[in-house]
Amino acid sequence: MKYAIRLKITYDYPSAVSDARHLLRVRPRDGGGQTLQSIDVAIAPRPGEHARETDFFGNGVDAIAFFAQQTELSVVMEAKVTVDRPPAPLDASPSLDAVADEALHGRSAEGASPIHHLGPSRRIAPLAALTAYVAETFETAKQPAGAAVMALTKRIRADFAYKPGSTSVGTTVAEAFAQKRGVCQDFSHVMIAGLRANGIPARYISGFLRTEPPKGQPRLEGADAMHAWVDAWLGNDIGWVGFDPTNGILAGNDHIVVAVGRDYSDALPIAGAFVTAGPQATDHFVDVVPIG
Amino acid sequence: MLSEPNLLRRYATLAAKGLDEMIAPDGKVRPHYAPLMAKLGTMPGAELARRFASSRQYLSEAGVFHQVYGEGSEQSHDWPLGHPALLIDRGEWAELSAGLVQRAGFLEALLADLYGERRVVASGVLPGILVGRNPEFLRPLADQARLGAPLLSFIAVDLGRGPDGRWWVLGDRTQAPSGAGFALENRVATSKAFPDVSRALNVERLAGFFRRFREMLFALGGPERARIGLLTPGPHNETYYEHAYLARYLGLLLLEGGDLVVHGDRAEVRTVDGFQPIRVLWRRLDADFCDPLELFGGSRIGTPGLARAVRSGALTLVNALGSGILETPALLAFQKPLAQALIGEDLKLPTIATWWCGQEKIRRFVEENAARLQLGPAFPGAPHFPVMGETATRPGAGDQTVPASTREGVTLVGQEIAALSTTPVWGQKGLEPRPVTLRAFLMRDEEGWHVMPGGFARVADSRDARVISMQRGGGSIDVWISSETAAKPVTLLGPKGDRFSRRLPGALPARAADNLFWLGRYAERGEVAARLLRLHAGRAGEGWSEGELETRIATILEDYGVEIDGGHPERGLLALARQAADTASRIRERFSPDAWRTLKDIVALILDAIAEKDGDVVGLTSAILTHHSGFAGLAHENMYRFTGWRFMQCGRALERGQATAATVSALLSEEPPAGALEALLTFTDSSVTYRRRYSVDLSEETVVDLAVLDPLNPRSLAFQVNTLAEVTSALPGVHLGETPDLLFRRLARLKVRLQTADAVEVDSAFLDRIVGDLALISDLLTQRYLLSSPRAAAEWSGGPE
Repeated sequence: MKYAIRLKITYDYPSAVSDARHLLRVRPRDGGGQTLQSIDVAIAPRPGEHARETDFFGNGVDAIAFFAQQTELSVVMEAKVTVDRPPAPLDASPSLDAVADEALHGRSAEGASPIHHLGPSRRIAPLAALTAYVAETFETAKQPAGAAVMALTKRIRADFAYKPGSTSVGTTVAEAFAQKRGVCQDFSHVMIAGLRANGIPARYISGFLRTEPPKGQPRLEGADAMHAWVDAWLGNDIGWVGFDPTNGILAGNDHIVVAVGRDYSDALPIAGAFVTAGPQATDHFVDVVPIG
Repeated sequence: MLSEPNLLRRYATLAAKGLDEMIAPDGKVRPHYAPLMAKLGTMPGAELARRFASSRQYLSEAGVFHQVYGEGSEQSHDWPLGHPALLIDRGEWAELSAGLVQRAGFLEALLADLYGERRVVASGVLPGILVGRNPEFLRPLADQARLGAPLLSFIAVDLGRGPDGRWWVLGDRTQAPSGAGFALENRVATSKAFPDVSRALNVERLAGFFRRFREMLFALGGPERARIGLLTPGPHNETYYEHAYLARYLGLLLLEGGDLVVHGDRAEVRTVDGFQPIRVLWRRLDADFCDPLELFGGSRIGTPGLARAVRSGALTLVNALGSGILETPALLAFQKPLAQALIGEDLKLPTIATWWCGQEKIRRFVEENAARLQLGPAFPGAPHFPVMGETATRPGAGDQTVPASTREGVTLVGQEIAALSTTPVWGQKGLEPRPVTLRAFLMRDEEGWHVMPGGFARVADSRDARVISMQRGGGSIDVWISSETAAKPVTLLGPKGDRFSRRLPGALPARAADNLFWLGRYAERGEVAARLLRLHAGRAGEGWSEGELETRIATILEDYGVEIDGGHPERGLLALARQAADTASRIRERFSPDAWRTLKDIVALILDAIAEKDGDVVGLTSAILTHHSGFAGLAHENMYRFTGWRFMQCGRALERGQATAATVSALLSEEPPAGALEALLTFTDSSVTYRRRYSVDLSEETVVDLAVLDPLNPRSLAFQVNTLAEVTSALPGVHLGETPDLLFRRLARLKVRLQTADAVEVDSAFLDRIVGDLALISDLLTQRYLLSSPRAAAEWSGGPE
């Protein structure tokens, strides 16, 4: 499947900001079932500094800085991406026990290794009730890990209500789990925390969804904005597989990966630090259109 | 006092239960302690008391203190220094030093591997999970060792003597080891008490180690010998005193995260004279707080972009960001294979036995032996407050149980409970044996690693050796290693005959200038309030009935937060005095210790008065004013006349000018009440001058002339404005002949207005306008020189859906 993707993020600073530094993670990744055909990132006003980097997890980063005062910021990313992501062999994956054991004894410490995604991180802390919730979803430790994680993905979709505006970016795992509603970020954090506490490596994915569904299929939740889902690690042979708890499905050819990390803090589209006395307003638009 | 044999007999009995530093198992004094005991044993009790007192006095005068956290407030406590020093035999020290140097090399190799090839993980020597789950493995710097620069240059190793008589490693301090400055202060204080003894024992000096350390820092900075900074979390940190002390001792800029800016890949210091490059920082701030953009986003004490500057190689941190990973307790369980893999040797120093519960066989061992082991976290904790007392045990341990699976076991270690040796410390009834740990310090230059010949020893306050922490009432003692020959004095001064040039100090960081400016303001504010209050109280004492004048003075005092009506005006004074003392404590490295103590004394004075409740306001305010003139004198006589001093003078002149204008305006507005003119003369301390200069009776015009317009009266408004104009003209970036900016235009205009005004024109409207002008001048000065930006972190708040 080939897509034309357009992301526009805008910020308004009514009382002006200065000395601003930002890290952007808005470039779709190349690899892992997708190929980047073309990309352009336009930033206005023109930054005083702009450097392209790759972070520890292999995400493309635009490091920008503004030293003059500014009252707005706009980032437009346009890319063409082909996605060919065959469904993972969930039922043929190693058992939950085997996956946990392989992960614990991983000998790679590089960015793609599961060892970075087993413990707590800035926004992920174990929660006893959630650990138990996931454990009871996993009927037996001997079942294939892929099938077990799929069952959890569907259960979160069934048990949690999708309600934009009911949570914020600062909502914790404990809060989201208690109120059983939220948006993609909350479901992803809940699922990651539950999987890790049960020994299954899990990481956070930030990305896009196809905006309009193919004929005859329902529109997916979260298609108008940046989306988030979960990669679970299913052993050395299968590796990372994407699960979308917001929609209760595998991440397939409608999902385009932008950034991966331990949680939202590692993958957020714009991180920034600047000097200001006033508030800020932000908005973003996503358009993902199939072409050719 | 007991004579020597008695003194020893009593101590030997007390120390007999375990291993002691001074008394050998056969009950005899170890040879290297004999000369010390020979001297101490003959000193009468009164002499010892006098000697201890002189060391205490030094510490209190130098302002050595440590913060104790608790119940949401911070308190400064006297520095708990004990006597005598811990003596280490020089043969044993040589052996220990060799082990420490080897250990430092091992740690350096391990750190380079973890932030480089990570071969210890790939080859299976170290379980990868100890890296992957480690909060001190900093991913933005994961490849920093590939630059080739040393990641470790200054470390500490905590040691305890085990029952076998050897020194055991209890832990490594590599993040931002504290204690070296305290070791220095302990040395100075101990030498004050026992100068003759330390000379007689040829105690090795510490200055050579610090001199070498300073040379190393400058060498890292490159040939131009640019300024070196010490990066501190700021005044609220427990070891801030040490940071300020070391910055002053080593001639480093004391910097907070907000003082730094990253431009391109370079770090720069925000100074009153623009941005100045900096290449080397001795880091005393925990790594996670250093860069809110790439590390902990919630940090308000970091510098956005700092990690970039490090990655590019343009900025070197001592030690590297992420060096805290070496403090991981679980690493102690893999010492032997790690040392073999990295340096191909066994480590000379034994390490406290440690078992990591991430492996099933070992987890079971710990489970079965839990009763005789101490359980603790396997990973370094998120160290929001670096605590000095974490040596022997880690807080929170003891309530842990061994989990049933290795999956949870990865976060847990079991450690042997070490019985520490004891060392003699003077207590209530003479020498008492106290468990002791030793923190040794090492630094690295091109020649290799060097051990500081001494250290920082901590002693428990009881025989219970499981916790040694100054937070819980323990203390510290000096560490003496005697050398064969008389120690050559080494100081940080260059050798005689070195060519020198008198260099002006580097540009002043904007934050330091801001603190000096506010110190000037706050100190003056305290003085003005005391002056007004004395005026008020003095009139009451002279039997004047409460009238219009008193009401007006009370109204001015309210603006200073001093409430007369509640009957506790001292509380308002206390708040003002504290503001001044707190501001001064933030810039202690730039400030005369005597002047700082004067401000602390004012606080103490007011606290005493509040406690005594005798209500002698006149006595109190007079004493405060005496201290203030002492402070002003010290600032005037002892402070180097450079940029910092000028900002302090600006703050003082602005505050005094505003206070004078506001007071004259309030007392003389509309119908001046009876006694207003006399009160004004008293307030401006000008009664004597008045009688000399004016032969007439008091009149409004003459009093106004003296208090407002007379350029020779140091308390007049015109004098403050002239001072401001003079002092600001020497500030950085001011060039004669250039178009002056708004700040200088405003000042010049104000100066002329006061020069040309006639006393009859000076009414409340005139004065109120000047108060406004001075406020504007203060704002302009702040904008131009002092704004060290209040930083807001912004995050994407749109959120994915």
